[in-house]
Amino acid sequence: MNDTQQTIKTYILETFLPGEDAAALSTTTPLRSTGILDSLATLDLVSFLEERFQIELGAQDVDPSRWENIEELSALVERKRNGR
Amino acid sequence: MVPTRSGSDVGRRVRQSSMEAGLATVLSDAPIQKPAAVAPPAAGAGEWLRTASLLIPLSLALAVVHTFQLESETFETIALLTVVGFAVHALTPMRFRLAAFTAISFVGALAVFGIADAAMMVSVGVVLIAICHLPLSLGLRVLLLLGVGAVLAAARAGVYTIPWSATVWPILGSMFMFRLALYLYALRDPDTRPTVARTLAYFFMLPNLVFPLYPVIDYGTFGRTYYDKPAFQIYERGVQWITRGLVHLLLYRLVYLHLTIQPAEIVDLGGVVQNVLSTFLLYLRISGQFHLIVGMLHLFGFRLPETHRLYFLSSSFNDFWRRINIYWKDFMMKLVYYPSFFRLRRFGARPAMVAATLIVFLATWILHSYQWFWLRGGFPITAQDGVFWGVLGLFVVVNTLRESKRGRKRTLEARRGWDAGRAFRTVGTFTAIAVLWSLWSTAELGEWVWMWLSVRRFDAMDLLLVAGLLGAGLAVAGRSWDAPVTEDGRKRTLMRQPAFQSSAVLIGLLLLGQPQAYERGAPQLAGFVGTLKSDALNDWDANLRRRGYYEDLDNVGLLNTQFLEVKASAPADWRDIRRTEANRQRTDFLRYDLQPNASIVYKGQTFTTNRWGMRGPDVSLQKPEGVTRIAIVGPSFVMGDGVADEDVFDRQLEALLNAAGERRYEVLNFGVGGYSIVQQVAMLENRVLDFQPDVVILTYHLRPALRVIPHLEEVVRSRTPVPYPELERMLREAEVLVDGDGTRLRVPFRPLRSVARSLGVEAAPPRFEREVQLRLLTDRIVDWSLAHAAERIRASGAAPVLIALDIVSMRTDSEPPSLAFAASRGFQVHNLLDVYSGLDPKDLEIAEWDDHPNAEGHRLIAQRLYRELTESREDHFAAATTENDPARAPPGGSTPGETE
Repeated sequence: MNDTQQTIKTYILETFLPGEDAAALSTTTPLRSTGILDSLATLDLVSFLEERFQIELGAQDVDPSRWENIEELSALVERKRNGR
Repeated sequence: MVPTRSGSDVGRRVRQSSMEAGLATVLSDAPIQKPAAVAPPAAGAGEWLRTASLLIPLSLALAVVHTFQLESETFETIALLTVVGFAVHALTPMRFRLAAFTAISFVGALAVFGIADAAMMVSVGVVLIAICHLPLSLGLRVLLLLGVGAVLAAARAGVYTIPWSATVWPILGSMFMFRLALYLYALRDPDTRPTVARTLAYFFMLPNLVFPLYPVIDYGTFGRTYYDKPAFQIYERGVQWITRGLVHLLLYRLVYLHLTIQPAEIVDLGGVVQNVLSTFLLYLRISGQFHLIVGMLHLFGFRLPETHRLYFLSSSFNDFWRRINIYWKDFMMKLVYYPSFFRLRRFGARPAMVAATLIVFLATWILHSYQWFWLRGGFPITAQDGVFWGVLGLFVVVNTLRESKRGRKRTLEARRGWDAGRAFRTVGTFTAIAVLWSLWSTAELGEWVWMWLSVRRFDAMDLLLVAGLLGAGLAVAGRSWDAPVTEDGRKRTLMRQPAFQSSAVLIGLLLLGQPQAYERGAPQLAGFVGTLKSDALNDWDANLRRRGYYEDLDNVGLLNTQFLEVKASAPADWRDIRRTEANRQRTDFLRYDLQPNASIVYKGQTFTTNRWGMRGPDVSLQKPEGVTRIAIVGPSFVMGDGVADEDVFDRQLEALLNAAGERRYEVLNFGVGGYSIVQQVAMLENRVLDFQPDVVILTYHLRPALRVIPHLEEVVRSRTPVPYPELERMLREAEVLVDGDGTRLRVPFRPLRSVARSLGVEAAPPRFEREVQLRLLTDRIVDWSLAHAAERIRASGAAPVLIALDIVSMRTDSEPPSLAFAASRGFQVHNLLDVYSGLDPKDLEIAEWDDHPNAEGHRLIAQRLYRELTESREDHFAAATTENDPARAPPGGSTPGETE
């Protein structure tokens, strides 16, 4: 697990899943189809990512079909950081 | 292995000049945004065997579809094609599988529409797709699509005609009305590189050919989830969801046929509960169809998200919105919610969130009507829709604000055990949504409000019902039924494997679907299951259909899809008798009858009336010497709706009676389509008795309110005098009849009218309230009609006979109380309601969309009636001895049927 993935995982665990077993949340655990990240939580997470990684996310970046788990979200963040 | 290539690899391959490489490129799979997560292993013998084993539950599923006649015959064809296609597809090399799926879909289109319609549909679709790829700016492409859409919309609205079958419209509309927007949206992303195979597969999906109400599948998700897990895992989930879909459809049929009750029929608390519950449960049809659709797509490698996941167990409005149709939710999130939020967030996150949520629900309301336009042709904007989406939107906003402040409890592992908080939240959410749903489905808001006033009337059984439902609901809802988010990865035993479980359920359904096997031991269960084995309309819808609702498409609640499907399949000229040249409008209490000397083709059959406006050959007014006359009065199935002149049961009955040769009989048919029992009485006095019948047969049919209400409502609306003082008194007492009704202000509910009147305002009840009052009065009206008719028939010297008979789909196990009442008033009663028993309704109906008895049905009626009449000949024909009695001759010079 890289740093970005770890940061996202920690935020999700602390903010949305307090008290849950960290080992149960892997980088491929579905986040959106399972309701862990609903629209509200997604927007919350977007604000965090923008602030933490100094990137700007738009409507297309939160498109439900673009990422479903920490691994995919982390890849998106990396692409944004690399200016893509 | 799923071939996974980078974009540059795809580009390189496109540039290859060899035909083989070119073919491979356009037909094979290519990544949309990123490679699939999991590549399926090379298929060894074990893998093939496992995949082949899924043909067992799939064959069982086909057998269940056939046994219970689920959905339509076309669906059965597509289901068979899906199973065969699955086997072929699984054997196809991976890189050609998308092309294989598209080819199977095109074969399906040919099977459903035929060559000409399928070619037209695909051509229009290809033009729309091609516009998306024109080398123009996005704005121009959108404008072009809107232009083509407007041209198609004009044709859909009937401005001009496109030479294809009407059934193409809903399917073409369903394929493109939302998916084009998602496709264009996907094309905005430079990483999206669609192939011809994927694009055609996306738009022309096999299940879409039979399901116009279709999940709005996202193009990105469609590509992203394609074989992203081991193939067998995807396939077995497909089997599981197909099974679940079939169970939903069977439960829907149970609810539709045996639990639904219309607001106009409700008189007490039990009725209200039944209406609210059954209306919501009718959604099982849609959730069943969605499970089938998504399950079928799994069989071709598309691991799409689970649809309608335990939506009856939602614990909040937000939860419900998330569960019920994840495809629509994601579509709205993608195209409406997030774009709105990001544009508005400069005003603050919370206001942007609230505004975006409200915009979503407004868009959902409008798009619901937009969808309706392409599927059905109308664009209904109703107050019920507005209230439903508005209230649901507000609840979601409130819930969202609450969650944004206090957070929402999320878990990775489902908490087992019963939880009171969860139980009450879930039951509360279910109840609130069910109430909203019943409002959404009602034909008129006032009618819905009136329905709720019925809760004042209840008995111990009603209270027991409410308590029982509440207790059962809390017991079920307190437990978490969701599977854990995390996969445990342990190997499952055979018993826990989806394919095994699905097979067990399907075998159970198949056994249940053989009622003849357990008829002896459990006759009631066998009879009940027998009713579930055909896709007949329920009583209410069957009556709507007979009353000529075909021409009034938008009158039907939006959720009543089964009724609309049947209606949509009827030819345009399939009309109620009142909308033909054979109808004669009258201004008296009868309101209408049959035109004398009419000769038309009605529902494809010869329809002839004699000079007296009776279906059948000419007869003299004066009864010929030595003839015994039998007059039959009744509604459409007595008139012979949809059968040729010579096939109507009265003709056959006359032939049977005369074949005995003892005396000469004439059977006179006074049947008129749509006649209520009250109109039968009016016809009796207006015309029947003038023909000096020896026997007068009146017809009792089930649910008499369905004919009594429209007739008396028309009488009141047209301010036609009621010629029967007792009936008029009943109508006045119930405020159905009010002097100067046309000029009065419509004020609902009696207390409000009293207030209005005390203020000097002349008030009268609105239409829905009159209809409810008529519903409450119907039993009394029927009894009055029977008593009055018996008296008049006896006074004329004829024998009164009552037959209980109905159309093919209307059956009952119990004897209606009115028959005993009729017998007490001197009628000879013959209950023929079981005349179609033991036979497949489809063999006895005049058409798939019309359940009036066909020639065979009329033959059965004639034979049964002949048997019953001759068995009790002495009772019936005693009056015949007084034939030619001058006292019973018609009044001098008057012409029957002409006096109004």
